[in-house]
Amino acid sequence: MLTAATPSTKTNWGKRLLIAIPYAWLLVLFLAPFALVAGISLSTVRLGMPPFEPLTAWDGSILNLRLNFENFLYVLTDDTYLLAYLTSLKVAAISTAAMLFIAYPLAYGIASCSPSSRSLLVFLVIVPFWSSMLIRVYSWMSILRNDGLLNALLLKVGLISEPLRILNTETAIYIGIIYTYLPFMVLPIYSTLSSADRTLIEAARDLGCSRISAFWRVTFPLSLPGVLAGCALVFIPVVGEFVIPDLLGGADTQMIGRAIWLEFFNNRDWPMAAAVTIVLLALLVVPIVYFQSRQSRERT
Amino acid sequence: MQSYISIENLAKSYGVVTAVNNISLGIEKGEFFSLLGPSGCGKSTLLRMIAGFETPTSGAIKLEGADVTDVPAHKRPTNMMFQSYALFPHLTVGKNIAFGLQQDGLAKSEIRKRIDEVAEKLQLTALLDRKPAQLSGGQRQRVALARALVKRPKVLLLDEPLGALDKNLRTETQLELVRLQRELGLTFIIVTHDQHEAMTVSTRIAIMKQGQVLQVGSPSEVYETPQSRYVAKFLGETNVFAGSRADRSGSELQIDSDEAGGRLHAAFTDRVALDAPFWVSVRPERVELATSGSGLEGTVEQLTYTGVERHYRVRLKSGATLDARRVNLGAESDLGVGDRVFASWSPQASRLLAE
Repeated sequence: MLTAATPSTKTNWGKRLLIAIPYAWLLVLFLAPFALVAGISLSTVRLGMPPFEPLTAWDGSILNLRLNFENFLYVLTDDTYLLAYLTSLKVAAISTAAMLFIAYPLAYGIASCSPSSRSLLVFLVIVPFWSSMLIRVYSWMSILRNDGLLNALLLKVGLISEPLRILNTETAIYIGIIYTYLPFMVLPIYSTLSSADRTLIEAARDLGCSRISAFWRVTFPLSLPGVLAGCALVFIPVVGEFVIPDLLGGADTQMIGRAIWLEFFNNRDWPMAAAVTIVLLALLVVPIVYFQSRQSRERT
Repeated sequence: MQSYISIENLAKSYGVVTAVNNISLGIEKGEFFSLLGPSGCGKSTLLRMIAGFETPTSGAIKLEGADVTDVPAHKRPTNMMFQSYALFPHLTVGKNIAFGLQQDGLAKSEIRKRIDEVAEKLQLTALLDRKPAQLSGGQRQRVALARALVKRPKVLLLDEPLGALDKNLRTETQLELVRLQRELGLTFIIVTHDQHEAMTVSTRIAIMKQGQVLQVGSPSEVYETPQSRYVAKFLGETNVFAGSRADRSGSELQIDSDEAGGRLHAAFTDRVALDAPFWVSVRPERVELATSGSGLEGTVEQLTYTGVERHYRVRLKSGATLDARRVNLGAESDLGVGDRVFASWSPQASRLLAE
């Protein structure tokens, strides 16, 4: 008994150090900035640098703490922000669903190929990461422009008689988001599908399932952890996406990432920008907790 | 007469590799039939063709006279118990067992009844709400069996079903399988590479090598009268000596063996051609060792005590080795390493073998 306990206490310090380093990293680079943002969101805007009032003031013998909730009240009651939040959630939800429909068959197809062609196909999925995302989004601008590649092609083929207006519409945002984030949906789904046990499908077939029902009763439920991971990886960053709607979208599609940008750089209202950010984070906690709990449930 | 399951000239090749080479077999209703052979002999491929997972290159599989060769797996009245058990990890034990019944569209009450029935028979009642990951190896094995049996298949196919169990549990489970098979009156076909397992459970055994069936028979037939050197060596241990010349005198054969360095006796048989190369085999437990007398002379080279038996390895004068065994009846061995011995056996213990 004693000999069994000794190695575990010995490794404990090494283990703690191993865990402590990344946690220290998170504390310094995530939690501390987050606390700063939370602090700014409760402050009041002023002219000068930094452009917000400090939260505390030393008044001879009294420490005054002034928490200004006005920004939050404004964010939560103002229609513009509400609309921007809803638009962001809608765009994220629709593009996540669209990506799932595209990525699942793609991942399934790759997973059912021979191992040698699999690695080539996975490589092709991640090859876009080799160039900067910004450049790729700019290329979409030149494709989708009124006098861009797509319209030139469609006009030449004769499918349309005058150019389609795609750039600066919501459609362009969807195209850009789906194009950019698709690999994040494909890879986790592919990973669960390719590691699935083939004999389970045979067992299902043996027990009376056709190919299709074996897919729905065995393959699909077993790939759910990958589907959930893919959805989380895509949905959460898309809600706060700024670059794609800014470059491809029009003025009529106001997403929350852009609202924060405008508040911060155009209006120089840091407290308001911070409050919008905090509310966004609170909104995202709901799906994050949902995905997390689903995943831990899938694992048991 | 048509067998319950008849396999006719069945062959399966993958490119240039022939996994199953023109096998014909008849299996009767209620049999516990073993396909026995080393890995790569085609036994699993044969079983998978019966299940419908592999399409034969040529030949036919008939069940009760009906050709099922082209019937897909999910429409065959066979069920398979997989080597890895292949339990669905996302479903509870109860739902694993119900899986096939739901697929057949049975009423909920009927499914419930059948699950309870099979769960009781296999002592799974208390485990129905657990997930496969929470079960021991033996419990998983019983769930896999229950899942296949609950469908009431005409033929249950078992692919190395006990390979993952430890030795004691395996022996116990073999007897349990035999009991179940008798009780249900079903036809079982089992694939195994373990000769003890095949001997323990089977009514008949087909011994396979390189895609072909070498011999089919009851455990005692294949053990007592193997027809080839391969079968004799694969089933249990045996001493094999090449015969050089044979003379027949009445019902007995006098065989000169240069390998054994002496004259051997065997009962006459017309099964083995004596003008082609042939061998004489004798099981170690049939060999008698004496300190004097007639027979093959040699010295005891090794003596192993296993509890149940003593194993003697004798170096014959010819240079060949001979194994002999004596059941431990309590007495001390009168033979020790280095002793000079004479080995002999009755002519009925000798078996003539072709290649």
